Amino acid sequence: MNAPILSLHGLRKSFGATEIIRGIDLNVLAGERHAIIGPNGAGKSTLFHLISGQLAPSAGEIRFEGREIGGQSPQNINRRGLARSFQITNIFPRLSTYENVRLAVMRAQGSQYAFWRFIDRDQRIRAETERLLALVRLTPKADAMAGEMAYSEQRSLEIAMTLASDPRLILLDEPMAGMSHDETQYTAQLIREISAGRTLMIVEHDMDVVFSLSDRISVVVYGQVIATGTPEEIRGHAGVREAYLGDEATI
Amino acid sequence: MKKTLYCCLAGTLLLAALPLLLSQGLLNAAIQMLIAALFASAYNLLCGQAGMLSFGHAAYFGVGAFATVHAMNAIGGTGLLPTPLMPLAGAVGGLLFGGIAGWFATQRSGTYFAMITLAIAELVHSLAPHLKTIFGGEAGISTMRMPALGLNFGSTTQVYYLTLVWVVVAMALLYLYTRTPLGRLTLGLRENRHRLQFLGYNVHGLSTLVFAISAMFSGIAGGLQVLSNESANYVVFDPSLSAAAVLNTYIGGVQVFLGPAFGAALMTFFGYAISDLTRSWLLYQGILFVLVMMFMPTGLSGLIAIAARLCTRHGLGRVLPVFLLAVASVMLAASGLAFTIELLQRLFSQEYRSLLQTHPDAAWPAVMLLDQPWRPGSPLTWSVPALLLAASLWCYRLCRRRLQMLCVYDEQMAMTAPVTIQHGEDAA
Repeated sequence: MNAPILSLHGLRKSFGATEIIRGIDLNVLAGERHAIIGPNGAGKSTLFHLISGQLAPSAGEIRFEGREIGGQSPQNINRRGLARSFQITNIFPRLSTYENVRLAVMRAQGSQYAFWRFIDRDQRIRAETERLLALVRLTPKADAMAGEMAYSEQRSLEIAMTLASDPRLILLDEPMAGMSHDETQYTAQLIREISAGRTLMIVEHDMDVVFSLSDRISVVVYGQVIATGTPEEIRGHAGVREAYLGDEATI
Repeated sequence: MKKTLYCCLAGTLLLAALPLLLSQGLLNAAIQMLIAALFASAYNLLCGQAGMLSFGHAAYFGVGAFATVHAMNAIGGTGLLPTPLMPLAGAVGGLLFGGIAGWFATQRSGTYFAMITLAIAELVHSLAPHLKTIFGGEAGISTMRMPALGLNFGSTTQVYYLTLVWVVVAMALLYLYTRTPLGRLTLGLRENRHRLQFLGYNVHGLSTLVFAISAMFSGIAGGLQVLSNESANYVVFDPSLSAAAVLNTYIGGVQVFLGPAFGAALMTFFGYAISDLTRSWLLYQGILFVLVMMFMPTGLSGLIAIAARLCTRHGLGRVLPVFLLAVASVMLAASGLAFTIELLQRLFSQEYRSLLQTHPDAAWPAVMLLDQPWRPGSPLTWSVPALLLAASLWCYRLCRRRLQMLCVYDEQMAMTAPVTIQHGEDAA
C-alpha cells in the first residue's frame, strides 16, 4: 500500500498534571480516508489540534510528508498542504458567506497582502470562490451573513473554507454534527468526492457515515489508539466493542 | 454605486466652495475639522475595520507632525520637499513608527493590545519634553510655510485648499483600500484572527501591516496640522488627543466608512463653537459619548441609516412627524440638561464660592445665565429645566406612539388576511 503521509510517534500532550494524549503511534496513508472514533473526551479533538498546530505536543513527533511539523505555527502547517475544519464552528460571522470563502481562496491564490489591485476584478479568485460555494450547495446563500445561517449551513461553509487551499491532507472535525439526515447524506457524498486524490482524516460520531466512508478506522480511547484497521476489522474487534461500540453504536 | 459617487463629488464641491462662504475664523475651524476627520478615518481603519482598539493613536499623529516639522526646517529652512508635499514626511514618519510600535502591540490582541498602545503613547508623551533636539522641549518647534509652485501659502484660504486636497485624496485611498485583498483581510482580522491562522495567514505580520498603514494616515493628519499651525509641540502626544480619536470615531459610528469622519468633524466644530460659551465642554462631550454608546451603539451614522430605512419603508410624508417629534424631544432634553449643567457649574465655581464666603448670612445671590439673573433658591429657576425635560419626555412619548402606529399599520397592510383572525382573537 501507499507510504504514510502523516505519521505520529509517541505523541503525548498534557495540560498540567492531566495527560490527554498518552502516547499515540499512528500512520495515515496517502490517499486513504481515515476516521478517528472514540468516546467523548478521548482526545480526538486534541489530536487534531496537535496535528494542525493549534497546540504544541508535550512529547513525540508528528511527521507530515516526512517532515516534522510538531509545534509549528498553524499558518506554516496550512501552507505545507494540511487544512482543517473545526468542531465548534469557526467562521467569520459578520461577513457574508461569499466573503468567508473568498478570504480562504485569496491565501491559496497568493494575493493576500495585495493593496494595489481591487479584489472584485480578480477573475481567478471569483471563479474559485463561486466553484467552492456551488460545491457545498451554498450559492443561494452567498450574500447571507455567515453568522446568521443555519448551523448545518455553517458546517458546509467550514468544509468549503477548508478546501480552498487545495490541501493534500484534510482534517475534518465532526463535519456532520447538527445536520439532518438528508444533509448528512449529501455531505457524506461530498466528502467522498472532495477526498478523491487527497488524504482525509475525519472525526465523526455518525457510525453509518464512518463505516461507509472510511478505508481505515482508528479507535482512540483515553488518549491512546486501541485499534486501527478496516471497518470490518474494527467491527469485529473485541476491545473496541467493549470500550466504545458496545454502548454508543446501538444509539 | 453611482449615486454614492455623485454624493461624494457634490460633498467635495461644497467643501471646495467653503472659502467663499465662511469667515477666516470659521475657515480655520474647517481646516481643523478636515484634519480631525482624516485622523478619525485613519483610526477607524484599525479600530472599526481590523477590530483593534488602540488607546494611543495620538503617538502616530504626533510623530507625523514632528516628522513634517523637521522636513520643513531641513536644509536651513528651505525644506526637504516642496511645501504642498510636506505631509509625505508625516506619512513616512507615521508608517515607520507605526510599523515598530505595531510589531510590539499586535503581539497580543484585545485588552492587552489596548494596554500596549496606551503604554507606547504614554512613553512617547513623557519622553518628548526631555528630547529637546527632536521635540523642541516645552516650547516646541516652529516653522514656516515656504512658497512653492507659485503659491505663497500665506492665506488661510490657500492652507484650506491644501488641506482639503490632502484629506480628499487620503480618504479616497482609505476607501479604495477597503476594496483590495488586504482590505478584505483586515475585516477577517476583526472577525476571527484564530481562523485566519488556519487558512495559512501570518496574523501577526498582517496585524503589524494594518497597524502601520493606519499610523501612516494618522501621520498625514499630523503633518497637515503642522502645515496649518506652522509649529509642533509635544502636547500633540497628549492622551486627550488619543481619547478624542476614540470618542469621535464611536460617536460617528464605526460601521460606516464616513461615520468616523462625520463624527470627528461634528465634534471638532462643536468644540470650536461651544468652547467659548461654556467651561464644561468636556463634560458635554463625555455625556454625548455615554448616551451614544448606551442608546445607539452604531453611532450617528447608524441613526441616519435607521432614519433612511424608515423613510423608504413608510414614505417621507408619514415618517416626517416622527422625525420632527424626535428632534424636538432631543432639543428640549438638551436645552434642559444644558441649563442645569450651566447653572450648577456657576454655583460651584470658585468665584461664586468666594462670593458666598464674604457674605455668609445673606441669601445666595443670583447667577447670570443667558443675560438673565437666576436665583438659586427660587423654584422658578429650577422649574425651567424641569419643564423643558418634561416637555422632552412628552415629545418622546408621542414620537414612540407614532412609530408604533406606523409599524402596526405596516403589518396590517402587509397581511390583510390574518387581520380578521387577530380581531377574532381579540374579541374572544
